[in-house]
Amino acid sequence: MTKFVFFGGKGGVGKTTVSSAHALECVDGGFETLVVSTDPAHSTADVFDQEFGDEPQPVEGYDGLSVLEIDPEREVQDHLQGLKRQLSSQLSAAMVNEVDIQLEMAHQTPGAYEAALFDRFVEVMRTADPYDRVVFDTSPTGSTLRLLALPDLLERWIDRLMDKRERSIDLYEKAAIGNREPRRVMDGDPILARLRERKERFEFAGEVLRDDAAFYLVMNPDELSIRETRRSVETLEDADLPVRGLVVNRLTPEPDPDEEGRGARYLRQRVATERDRLERIEREFDVPVVATIETRVEEVRGSILEAVAAELEITIEGEGSVQSQ
Amino acid sequence: MTLADRIATFRAALEEWLRGLYHGMISHPAYEKIEAEAEDEEDGFMLACFPDAFGIPSPVSYYTAELLPYLEDEYEAWERRLWDRRSLVERKGHQYHF
Repeated sequence: MTKFVFFGGKGGVGKTTVSSAHALECVDGGFETLVVSTDPAHSTADVFDQEFGDEPQPVEGYDGLSVLEIDPEREVQDHLQGLKRQLSSQLSAAMVNEVDIQLEMAHQTPGAYEAALFDRFVEVMRTADPYDRVVFDTSPTGSTLRLLALPDLLERWIDRLMDKRERSIDLYEKAAIGNREPRRVMDGDPILARLRERKERFEFAGEVLRDDAAFYLVMNPDELSIRETRRSVETLEDADLPVRGLVVNRLTPEPDPDEEGRGARYLRQRVATERDRLERIEREFDVPVVATIETRVEEVRGSILEAVAAELEITIEGEGSVQSQ
Repeated sequence: MTLADRIATFRAALEEWLRGLYHGMISHPAYEKIEAEAEDEEDGFMLACFPDAFGIPSPVSYYTAELLPYLEDEYEAWERRLWDRRSLVERKGHQYHF
């Protein structure tokens, strides 16, 4: 059953709009829905005209819809602070400084944001019981989706670490010939315990993503967006996470036939190019285009959002009524 | 002192000598060697955990950083070994009592 729906895509293609609209669709279908946004700019706040925070918060005016905004920066800082607290309670003063530097560095690495996000995603999936649908509006960095493709790799990595650790402990135990106390013992080794815990998390994430999740990519009818989408489709497919559909957003509206003028000519030309591109998308991608959404003059919010939701054709299967417009 | 007593003393002394000899020749170098091997394994583990200590960025450092609080002894010893290990020959050679 699809419980988790991910929307990815290049920055600025309208992921937030599409995922919010899909969430509305789910709510209309009678599902308790949670929208998880990772956009540091917090555009969900703009769409629903309401401030959200780190905890799921119900959206005013919509029954059964909640929003959770994750701030990756804060997640990383929290992780760092937690480790530091643990450090000072466990390590001798001389070592704390030494290890502190190492910690700071680990949290500055390029992957730290994504790792923190991934952690939080897993957390959300673990505690998603009260909701029938969880819609992830993934961050525009694009690497979030790539990270979701990683659990297998990370699992293997952890396996390797555990193997190394076990071998060295085993040798230490063997080195303790006679009555000597081994320098390390296998039972209750905190490192192994921690690694095992991590591994279980990755396994859980991998399972959920394969079995209960659906991926959609949002794109605009332009070359850059098409190329980026192709890459994303490949990455996800390599990780056995097939993309269910493409949403083409920001299509140019066609002018009325009786309109003649520069504006109308411009629009007609654009529409023609976009139609070509749309055909190409449909021809070249194995993934079906599930929805095309016309560009709106105003920011998408409120009643316009509902109109956009009506344009979406993402079938939501599951128990309860099936809803598709 | 009876003959039996003298034999017993002699045997005790011999046993101690033999044990010492065995320990010195076989068991002591053996566990030293195994321990050195264990240390090498551990170094590999540490290197896999903290490649960024050498300026190699790693996508998992964020996760392995969680292990640091438990790695006090290992981390210190690892660093010391890294400083000491001027060459592989020295490291591999020092365990043999030439």
